[in-house]
Amino acid sequence: MLIKTLLNTLLMAAVAIAIPGVINRLRARMAGRKGAPFFQHLRDARLLAAKGSVYSDTTTLLFRVAPAVYLGAAAVALLFIPVADLEPLISFEGDIICFAYTLALARAALVLAAMDTGSSFEGMGASREALYGALVEPALMIGFATLAMFCGYTSFAEIFAVKQSFDLHLTLVMLLAAYLFLRITFVEAGRMPVEDPRTHLELTMIHEVMCLDYSGIDMLMIRLGGWLKTAAFAMIAADAAATVTCFRWWFATPLAILLTGVSVAVVESTQARNKLSRNTTFMVTLSALAALIFFIGYLLQLDINI
Amino acid sequence: MYLNLLLAFALLTALLFAVPVRWKAPITAVVTAILSVVAAVPAVKALASGTTTEITRMQGPVFGEESIAVDPLSGLFLIIIAVTSVAAVLYSCGYMKHYYGKKPPVQFSLHYTAFAALVASMMMVVTSSGGFSFLFGWEMMTIASFLLILFDAQRPEVLRAALTYLIMMHVGFVFLVAGFAGIDAVCGSAGFDCLPRCYASRHTLSLFVIFLIGFGMKAGIFPMHVWLPEAHPAAPSHVSALMSGVMIKTGVYGVIRVAGAITEVGQLHTGGIILLAAGIVTGLWGAVQAAAQNDAKRLLAYSSMENVGIIFIALGVAALGAGADDPVVASIALCGALLHTFNHSLFKSLLYFGTGNLYSQMHTTLLDRFGGTAKRMPVTAALFLLATAAICALPPLNGFAGEFLIYLGLLDSVSNGVNVLYAAGGITALALIGGIVLLAFAKLFGVVFLGTPRHRSVHSVTEVDGLRLASMAIPAAGIVLAGLLPQYAVRMVSAAAAEFSPAAVYLVEANVAPTLTRVSLTAFLLIIAVALLYTVKVRAQRRRTLSHGPTWGCGFTAPDTRMQYTGESFAEGLESLASTFNSDIVEGRVVDKGEIFPPAVRNYNVRHKDRVGRLFSAWWIEMLRLINQRIMRLRTGKINNYIFFALMFLVLIFVLSLFNII
Repeated sequence: MLIKTLLNTLLMAAVAIAIPGVINRLRARMAGRKGAPFFQHLRDARLLAAKGSVYSDTTTLLFRVAPAVYLGAAAVALLFIPVADLEPLISFEGDIICFAYTLALARAALVLAAMDTGSSFEGMGASREALYGALVEPALMIGFATLAMFCGYTSFAEIFAVKQSFDLHLTLVMLLAAYLFLRITFVEAGRMPVEDPRTHLELTMIHEVMCLDYSGIDMLMIRLGGWLKTAAFAMIAADAAATVTCFRWWFATPLAILLTGVSVAVVESTQARNKLSRNTTFMVTLSALAALIFFIGYLLQLDINI
Repeated sequence: MYLNLLLAFALLTALLFAVPVRWKAPITAVVTAILSVVAAVPAVKALASGTTTEITRMQGPVFGEESIAVDPLSGLFLIIIAVTSVAAVLYSCGYMKHYYGKKPPVQFSLHYTAFAALVASMMMVVTSSGGFSFLFGWEMMTIASFLLILFDAQRPEVLRAALTYLIMMHVGFVFLVAGFAGIDAVCGSAGFDCLPRCYASRHTLSLFVIFLIGFGMKAGIFPMHVWLPEAHPAAPSHVSALMSGVMIKTGVYGVIRVAGAITEVGQLHTGGIILLAAGIVTGLWGAVQAAAQNDAKRLLAYSSMENVGIIFIALGVAALGAGADDPVVASIALCGALLHTFNHSLFKSLLYFGTGNLYSQMHTTLLDRFGGTAKRMPVTAALFLLATAAICALPPLNGFAGEFLIYLGLLDSVSNGVNVLYAAGGITALALIGGIVLLAFAKLFGVVFLGTPRHRSVHSVTEVDGLRLASMAIPAAGIVLAGLLPQYAVRMVSAAAAEFSPAAVYLVEANVAPTLTRVSLTAFLLIIAVALLYTVKVRAQRRRTLSHGPTWGCGFTAPDTRMQYTGESFAEGLESLASTFNSDIVEGRVVDKGEIFPPAVRNYNVRHKDRVGRLFSAWWIEMLRLINQRIMRLRTGKINNYIFFALMFLVLIFVLSLFNII
């Protein structure tokens, strides 16, 4: 039991570390480059850890605490997520709500820290992040509600542990839910087509532009927090897919890494970033998609022959 | 009873008018404290034991026998009233100081008399069994709060707001009178305890809707919220805190009483749908409008509306759950609604106190005059941040505990397969409201307290006196405690919920409290994690070079404070999505895309007005004015005309009695 929980947490950390590596390698290969080593992002992290920091005179204590809140909240959110049949550290009735709001805390910390610098660019990023956060929240909650409706539970561990003999309806809904969560991962991780993390123009940034004034350890914390957040969403998507295929940890872990890693890399290599004004449409579409999946789930549960 | 009440009140008024100016506030504080303690004793007893304590029983002049009694629901609301009133009156002791000498002492006397009357009348409203004493308290509450709003009456907008408020409250009052008369017609007395009998006999729904309109006027349900964003900014901050944090909740209280008396399953279902729909529309409208406001107090007023919406969503789900015979959903959602009511009174009063601190320093509440205030008012900023996080329902604070229960009720409804689509609508609305509120409050806190000053007057701002900060610590302590230990907070409300959903106490003990204990543990884990990370960071940074400099301008070397994001620009994205709900008042012209260097300084001012608000106020103020004009024609000033009117009246009575109409 304890070992399972420990393994769960370690695997989540592994997923968090592996996903950026997979994305970077694959993207480089698809562009025909040799690419940086798989663990380049960890070396960058070590570099950041060794650096000093520059703080703007405008900022207050809030600016210095915010990275810790961001990383702390992302880390706690990660502890809710089971890796297939393993047990997460924290699990109780309604933990899906706790998960969503802990991540909202992380977002609020960064948004306020960005406002703290008094920079027009960072204000812009904060404004966008707050708006996109507000728009993606319904999609996330309806997604969770779909799972809760179909499985009859309100905690991740119990939802994903629901496994009858092969059930076409459950398979369908779970796969649709996995797709939805994957799309949400794109938004929450600040990836294409919502945002291009490689952009060099501040005016077009969202997430990155909020952190312009961070350096050294603060920047490292924000990076780490971002990885953990991505890993949490990737694992939810993978769990949903694994429930109806092979519900074992040794299957779900690589699935989470590959599903997110490959899809992000492919999308980023083949698509252009949305025009910013199109982003809101993208998010609203996401909520509409979630509502549609919920409705499909509802109809399937009513057992109408379609 | 009424005579004694009025006598005691007259004595207090005489005392308040007699003493010198600086004694008026402390005397009111003492009176409020005594009232609060007297009310809190039976309230705590009722909540702890789940029993009803009858205080007095009397014969009302109209609606038969009535009683003043404290049952658990009254107890909960008494505690809400007591806590916020004490905090508000203490706050006013500091806040009113800068008005001393600027206003005649009689205004202070009137203000504090009205304050004491408001507290007493709210207590009367929530303990009365209904009928005459309820309406008496309700009307006294309206008049007292009207006088309180009027404190700054030399400002024309204050006068207008107060009149709007008075008119709307009386329209609501008419509905309440009609409702109680309806009960009286069936049962012979007009207490809430007669409601089930009344519902059983006939037309439940019409009676319910009449009460909903009457109470909704006070609670600020869409589209009756029009007075909220006018009255709250007009009143002094401690009054806004009391009105927004507590007084509008008496409307919620009334709705709970009226909806809780419905027993028939089909009617519960319909009632639940009405409440849920009202909650969703109110909540979303309030949230979107809050995000668009550029005045701190207006923003807070709309946020109150949004919170009332959340409470109604929870009440709707509770009624739907009860209608579907699902005690789990009903109890959890009702506990969530009550807990959120309690929580909102804490963080909303704290937010209004914080805004009061800003107003007393800057004499404005326009967001774009501020900026960087946190450095000059660190304690106010910290407390305001706490309340901001709580109202955004961020863990580990109390707002999260309340919304967690509401979500849990909704999700349980979905996962148990009852009223799935309604509950899903509630979840969607709640999630969207949550996100938009985060945006609105990030804007409020970010623009006011963070960044660099946008106006030179910010440089002269200093922290306010200790008394005000101490009174702000009362709600702040509640926020933290109820947030960290929600399992105890929910036990407090479970007795009140059990009045309508008898399984609540058992369910809370067996099911909800253990879950909330886990939430509480997670909250502590979160705090420990953040504290640990911060300590590690600070220790690591000791060995590294830290330097200071200006904010990175992305290569631009002449940044100006005016380039900062303003409140307007922060919410621009949302406003462009929600533009259909607003009618903007634009002064000046936007800088055109072609003009990179506009030739002259140009003013551009945009105010977002609530479309419904304007429609409504214009519509009925105009109508009332017309009716008034017509009636005024009768006032001829000639005695023979008046005698003729009296004669006509007698003839009318005679004719009506001939036809057996009266």
